Amino acid sequence: MSSPSLKDVPPLKNVKVGDAIPDWLMESVRPERMRTMAAILRDPNPVHWDREACAKIGFGHRTINQGPLGLSYMVNMLHAWAGPGCVKRLYMTFPMAVLDGDRITAKGKITAVREEGGERFVDCDVWLEREGTNNPLEGRATIKLPD
Amino acid sequence: MSVAPRPLPPEAEIKAIIGHQFPGGPYTVAHWENFLLTECTGADLLPDGMVHPVVLFHMPILGSRTTIGEMFGLGQAESDFSIGIESYDWEMFKPLIEETPYKISGKIVDAERRLTGHGRSHDRIQFQFEVAEPDGTLAARTTITWHYGRSQSV
Repeated sequence: MSSPSLKDVPPLKNVKVGDAIPDWLMESVRPERMRTMAAILRDPNPVHWDREACAKIGFGHRTINQGPLGLSYMVNMLHAWAGPGCVKRLYMTFPMAVLDGDRITAKGKITAVREEGGERFVDCDVWLEREGTNNPLEGRATIKLPD
Repeated sequence: MSVAPRPLPPEAEIKAIIGHQFPGGPYTVAHWENFLLTECTGADLLPDGMVHPVVLFHMPILGSRTTIGEMFGLGQAESDFSIGIESYDWEMFKPLIEETPYKISGKIVDAERRLTGHGRSHDRIQFQFEVAEPDGTLAARTTITWHYGRSQSV
């Protein structure tokens, strides 16, 4: 089943278990962004900026995206759907690497809708999808719905 | 900085790092830093000086006065390539705002050796960091769980 676009989704007050969260697309994971991230993160690992180092360990001259950038695509999907600051928890596992040049889609599905202290929360499964492979990232998120 | 390859460390040395506390300290996310970080995610800047949550990887690490290289070294990583990510868990209690002097603390909360079959193993090490507002209110908590792969059989 394809996910709805933002204009097609029901109002947030009507969300229910099983609803899909509108996709968020990263058309092409760019190596220059990994280099900027490596500098900001003070990350010494050459897999994020040296294609030759990646070739030596079997990644074929493609640098490996930083894990936090994978999480950020989920955050961007959730912000686009429920607004900035909506994410209360994000737990993510990393079955596969995301590589430079990959076309990545962030996806999500609601698993619970609940109320706590007068506020409404949504739990959801979230994942990154890449055509032709298993999901590179999989996890769960908790979202606070706007008042 | 790369970490030089090492032989399989004794399991007791790995367990001994549980409770290791980093010095901790302040960390302020400058506007330029948030701008560049947000651009790397492919999103537009968030409103009202809100910092993109992607900051929750490096802000706790650098604010607690450690580095990724030191974290590799504490677990006696064989090399930069021997680290695998099990999970990142980010709990966000308050939005983070640019130019705010947050207080950061961090420690190692778990470390254990795990067999992965055929006599191979990895050490599973878990780091936890807290980000507090200037008045001490907890704003975020992050948990990093890494696998330190071991090439030598146990």
